[in-house]
Amino acid sequence: MTDVIVVGSGPGGLHAASRLVQAGVRVVLLDFGNRDDRYAPLIPRRPFSELRRSDPAQHRYLLGDRFEGIPFGPVRVGAQLTPPRMHILADAPERQPVDAPSFAASMSLARGGLGAGWSAGVFPFSDDELDGMGFRVADLQAHYDAVAERIGVAGNHDDLERFLPPSPSMMPALELDSNAEVVWQRYQRARATLNARGFFLGQTRLAVCTRLHRGRGPYGYLDLDYWADPDRAVYRPQWTLDELLELGTFTYLDRRLVRRFTEGDGRVTVEAEDADSGTIERHEARALVIAAGTFATARIVLRSLDRYDTPVPFVCNEYAYVPTVNLGMLGHSARDRRASLAQLTAMVQLEQPRRRVIQAQLFSYRSLLTFKLMKELPLPGRQALRILRVLIPNFAILGIHHEDRPSPGKTCVLRRGLDGAPDRLEITYQPTAEEQAVQRADERMLLRFFRSLGCIPLKAIRPGHGSSIHYAGTFPITPDDAPLTCDRDGRLRGTRAVYLADGSVFPWLPPKGLTFNIMANADRVGLQLARTLR
Amino acid sequence: MLSSAAVAPEAQGDPAASEAQIFARYLVGRMPPADLVERYRDASRAIWSAPAPPGEEALVAFVLRHPWAVGPLDAITSVLHPSGQLRSKILTMAAVLEASPAFADEFLPRSVSRAALAWQLFAGGAAASVQVLVGLVLLPIARRARA
Repeated sequence: MTDVIVVGSGPGGLHAASRLVQAGVRVVLLDFGNRDDRYAPLIPRRPFSELRRSDPAQHRYLLGDRFEGIPFGPVRVGAQLTPPRMHILADAPERQPVDAPSFAASMSLARGGLGAGWSAGVFPFSDDELDGMGFRVADLQAHYDAVAERIGVAGNHDDLERFLPPSPSMMPALELDSNAEVVWQRYQRARATLNARGFFLGQTRLAVCTRLHRGRGPYGYLDLDYWADPDRAVYRPQWTLDELLELGTFTYLDRRLVRRFTEGDGRVTVEAEDADSGTIERHEARALVIAAGTFATARIVLRSLDRYDTPVPFVCNEYAYVPTVNLGMLGHSARDRRASLAQLTAMVQLEQPRRRVIQAQLFSYRSLLTFKLMKELPLPGRQALRILRVLIPNFAILGIHHEDRPSPGKTCVLRRGLDGAPDRLEITYQPTAEEQAVQRADERMLLRFFRSLGCIPLKAIRPGHGSSIHYAGTFPITPDDAPLTCDRDGRLRGTRAVYLADGSVFPWLPPKGLTFNIMANADRVGLQLARTLR
Repeated sequence: MLSSAAVAPEAQGDPAASEAQIFARYLVGRMPPADLVERYRDASRAIWSAPAPPGEEALVAFVLRHPWAVGPLDAITSVLHPSGQLRSKILTMAAVLEASPAFADEFLPRSVSRAALAWQLFAGGAAASVQVLVGLVLLPIARRARA
């Protein structure tokens, strides 16, 4: 019999599997496993601006064969997904239906899960941010370090270290682009004053190999990060899957959609549907790790425990982005050698009324298409094009994530499908007026700091609830023994050997990217489970 | 402003080809090659499978009969009806042009001096304002015209 079945090949599933396999445990991973075989092979390994001038086939991957890269309507969740990335969200709405009138729930059935489109930001949580989970940074540090070594992390020893402790294996940071360089220089000049006011700026720590690491990288500065994964330098969970596939104790079964689990006789039975034939298979193991993504995991757990119509909490970072004009760039030319990933991260330490951090990341807008910005301007197309061409080199885009905590207006409920229809997950997300007021105040504070660095904000764009694609909190790790929660080891209470290893277990979300923390916690869950099985 | 020469003789009677030519001339001042006209046609089929409301179609039809009107009507709809069909079609042609090596340079960001930037902003803003005013007069006429 298999030792452990892992469900899902996203950041949680693969890092739990990786740790289990490393400990000698036999693992079967069940996954749907969509991949992009259409566009990835078409994209030349050349700098973005060069291929734009030379590749006659560029329309295929820039616009898509079905013109799916030409979006109309308001800016929405997933607008940053280019045709070569759209497979990440494919099939999920039909296979895992959701009713969410005011919330855009993105789910993935792709190899690598939502992590296949991760923006690669590495933000380990602090002790304040692990509050309520029953463990501290000291318990997670070894797992942060192990994951950092596995995925490759690049960063600087700069002012962010007070918020993000470094990893021993950290590689040199990426080179800043021209835009960020100007902001960084201004920060250096005003550093003492800004620090005294609680504002700190540093280079964004990224899951990128800036030197050759585990056969990946070094990063080539081709500015293709929205479109392709040249040299596999930017981490995607599927790179870990490729490594695991080389090992004899690991089995990968794709085209499977897990429906439910049952327990009995010291084993877990998992029922999975073959995506092509529709037949139901049963797989048995000593333990089960579910990491299908917060909403897909909720569906499996609630169905398995027959907890239909039972609301469970969830949280999601609210997100806004603000295009700014970087005055320091006016009249300067921008280098083509650059990365499309986040360049700088700002953190503001607040002490009142409670101790917390607010955060923004700075990007440039160079390797997305200009027509998408033309759509956003209330100007005729001809003038919009002429103005944008000369303004874009001066644009700095701020991405702002807000913390989120559970509240009665944020729940999901599984409703039984009638007459053979699939079950539907009903999602309600209504933050309180007070939460929204705090978010607006935080944005204003961040924009004031960036204004002092020469970045003049144009307009805050809020793509809507769910747009951060950071979901968590459905079955949180809690110290108290409540139903539909997890214990410290990630074991789902009420089960003998079912563990959760994705966003589901985080009780609330700090204003930081979650992905790296999911990986580290999954590594921890995998290690604990390996010890239990021994 | 564009004249009727914005449409090549062979495109007369072919609305998609005429649209592609008018919009390309308007956006970048050049006629698109045949393969980009075909790509625009394919994109139109893929994006607008259902007919647009009559008022929207009337605007596009007006532009086909009077290519010079594309600028003012685009300007006023960009303010009043940014998700309308005329503007969406112009943006689709922009996408088709942008994703081709022959026109990429006209869409790629360009660094300019502060003076040139100020001039571009001023000139672009002034031209857009004039177009909006002309469009304001033209819009009701175009809407009432036959589709």
